[in-house]
Amino acid sequence: MRREWLVVGAIWAALTALGEFVVTTWTMLPEGYSRESHVVNEAYVLLLVMAVPVFAFMVTMLGYSIVAFRHPGATEDGPNLGNNKRVVWIWLAVTAALDLAVLINPGFVGLRDIRGTQSADMAIEVVGQRWSWTVTYENGATSTTEMVVPVDTRIRFDVTSTDVLHSFWVPGFGLKVDAVPGRTTQMYVTTERTGDNADDSRLRVQCAELCGLSHADMAMTVRVVERAEYDAWVEDLKNNPPAAAQQAAGATATTAAGEQNDQQAGAAAGQEG
Amino acid sequence: MRPLFRAIKWGIGGYLLGAVAAWVMAGASGPLNGPIEVTVGFIAGLIGWIFGIGGWNNWGREWFGLPPKDDGKDDWRRYFRFNTDHKVVGVQYLVAFIAVMGIGGIMAMLMRLELARAGTDFMSEETYNKVMSMHGILMVAVAVAGILGSFGNYLIPLMIGAQDMAFPRLNALSFWLIPPVAVALLSAPLLGSFEAGWTAYPPLSVLAPGDGQLLFNMGVIAFGLSSILGGLNILTTVTTMRAPGMTWGRLPIFVWAGFSASLISVLFTQYFAATLVMIQLDRIAGTAFFDAKAGGGTLLYEHLFWFYSHPAVYIMVLPAFGVSLEIITHFSRKPLFAYKAVVGAFLTIVGLSGIVWAHHMFTSGMANYFHAPFMALTEAISIPTGVVFLAAIGTMWKGRIWFTAPMIMATGWVFNFMIGGITGIFHADVATDLQLHDTYFVVAHFHFTIIGGSIMGLLGGTFYWFPKITGRMYNERLGKIFALWVTIGLNVVFLPMFWVGVNGMNRRVAVYPADLQRVNEFISAAAFLLGAGFLLFIGNLLWSAVKGPKASDNPWNASTLEWSVSSPPPHHNFPLLPEVVGHPYEYGRPGARHAVLSTTGATHG
Repeated sequence: MRREWLVVGAIWAALTALGEFVVTTWTMLPEGYSRESHVVNEAYVLLLVMAVPVFAFMVTMLGYSIVAFRHPGATEDGPNLGNNKRVVWIWLAVTAALDLAVLINPGFVGLRDIRGTQSADMAIEVVGQRWSWTVTYENGATSTTEMVVPVDTRIRFDVTSTDVLHSFWVPGFGLKVDAVPGRTTQMYVTTERTGDNADDSRLRVQCAELCGLSHADMAMTVRVVERAEYDAWVEDLKNNPPAAAQQAAGATATTAAGEQNDQQAGAAAGQEG
Repeated sequence: MRPLFRAIKWGIGGYLLGAVAAWVMAGASGPLNGPIEVTVGFIAGLIGWIFGIGGWNNWGREWFGLPPKDDGKDDWRRYFRFNTDHKVVGVQYLVAFIAVMGIGGIMAMLMRLELARAGTDFMSEETYNKVMSMHGILMVAVAVAGILGSFGNYLIPLMIGAQDMAFPRLNALSFWLIPPVAVALLSAPLLGSFEAGWTAYPPLSVLAPGDGQLLFNMGVIAFGLSSILGGLNILTTVTTMRAPGMTWGRLPIFVWAGFSASLISVLFTQYFAATLVMIQLDRIAGTAFFDAKAGGGTLLYEHLFWFYSHPAVYIMVLPAFGVSLEIITHFSRKPLFAYKAVVGAFLTIVGLSGIVWAHHMFTSGMANYFHAPFMALTEAISIPTGVVFLAAIGTMWKGRIWFTAPMIMATGWVFNFMIGGITGIFHADVATDLQLHDTYFVVAHFHFTIIGGSIMGLLGGTFYWFPKITGRMYNERLGKIFALWVTIGLNVVFLPMFWVGVNGMNRRVAVYPADLQRVNEFISAAAFLLGAGFLLFIGNLLWSAVKGPKASDNPWNASTLEWSVSSPPPHHNFPLLPEVVGHPYEYGRPGARHAVLSTTGATHG
């Protein structure tokens, strides 16, 4: 009896140590570009660290039982041990304590870190429409092919949609928020590190809510650049809008063009409805 | 077979009648397969089908004072009839849903074929969306009704010592509602299919061009009706049909699991039906429940949808909890550990399931103050679920573990469902969910919970009760190979999906960043192997059902009541009421008995 528990304890301790070593040293999560992505990654690793002993315990019990208590055929019964109130209460207490711990940190702590402060250095408007994104910067410049943001800046994305549900997701920022027709949703991101989509495919705006035909292609590249470079870029974008962006910018800028845009959308909807 | 052909005739006739009537009333101008025509046609066709298959003979004739017609001979043809024997209904469910699982599996193989390459090499994005949506709804149906419909119907009356379900005709009706659902979903491609996923979020499901969405809505509503009727029947049966001495505290754990899942079916299914009616009306009648421009809102749909669809995941897994604990108990030859705590856990899960739905909506833009309470409630579910795991390992500890195919499935269920449960916390936690929501991390998570938690229960139960149902033994060696194949294969296929998820691959896409292609190639290759393994399952069952060695009444020497009757059981199960005198799992106590099958006991009224 005691020897059995010693063996189980030893296997559990070994598996736990191995598991903890793996989850704390092997960087499973690629590094993000925002403060929020660090919150996410830390929460992720913390959850793994807490899960390892639980998982190791179950694997040990399962594996040990299968190996040690094998008995071919139904010729013999095990002991008539149907319940052990103390074990049940200890189990409930331990799982409840673990639940509470997870709820406090990373739960509430992570929620505070990600959603806590509702202030921003700059606001960027994002409109999703099947199947592209339109990004409007504070100076009114608009782009539909690439999103550029400055580093070390807290940015509020005001996100909405003109047709169906979309979800505004930059994997490298660690967050997403749905683009909901008729509503503006907000997502706060504090950029911390420069980067370019050319080096990391996670720096892209990706629609993450199924939106029909070209949902998978509803993406645009993202660059995080130094503040000076951003200022020059966004000023240049305003003064020399690229051909593709020009149309979209014109559409939102003037009423007449806006109506035309609505008609197009209506025609598209009518055709599909 | 005549009733089946009559049902097909009346079904088609009803459809045409309904469609033409709607067409005439709508001005006799548009196409005959317009949205309103399809909707009315489906309803009329469904009524025609039900009348034809047995509605008239079982209810109608009685209402009009005509002599009833009996079910016909007890040969193989009874499986193609409106048959009120709960064992026939159970087999009908089992075979039908294994077939549906096969179709859904082929869809999965097609998806993996496309995803082996980063671009669109095999099918277009449009086709992919449709195949993905079809795979989703078919597999959800299998998980929802697979165990409850088959083993629930077949075994609950046997386990509680009853001769049939409380409402045998309703039972047959709940099964015969399923074929029109399958026809509606599988014929949707004729009308342009549906492409909004099984979740059918509007406005996409309202605006998407394919009118197949209409058939999706109607089919799923009919399926929900079947689910409610089935649940109602199980609740009533367990409440009123228990044999003398079968107290609530002596119910086998699978009965409790089926009872709990049925509670959820009856309490929540109608919310999904209501939302689909709204989508149907938005599409055909010009209402604007989900049109923001006209004052509608899409968050309404998400709330109502998940108010059913989160509890639904417990309709999927609770019966599998029951099957797996049942198997673990009998093959460990020990009493189920902490029986009362497990029953309490099941009922706690039923209660909690109804108040956690918004954890699917952390990124939806709903009010911020929703996040903390829904995170707390969701994480609390880990406590009752933990009790189920305690019961599994507590029962195995010091048992006499007979490692058969069903036992491998059940222990594999513990392992795989645990991975599903642990990764679930990453979605309950708001911080990590904001990144992981709608990525392949979710895909991996719910395949571990649904295949690991529900389908492995279905597969394990199929092996376990196969000798009881068919009277023949399956091939144990092939069964063991298959059980290991699924248990391990699931990990090989779905563990890498966690990795592609955290590396920025979102779900429901045919194309993805090229740097994730290598891992996806691996996943696809592994998925084909896992899929091919199911041929072993089907082959084993088909061959064994016909040619397998005859099974004894109780090949596992198990203690519950279904093993005390012949294999397969006689038409009315127990000629005389069994008298239950003890707990169902009194292993290791000499002389202790669960029930006495006396020859002089009271007969059924």
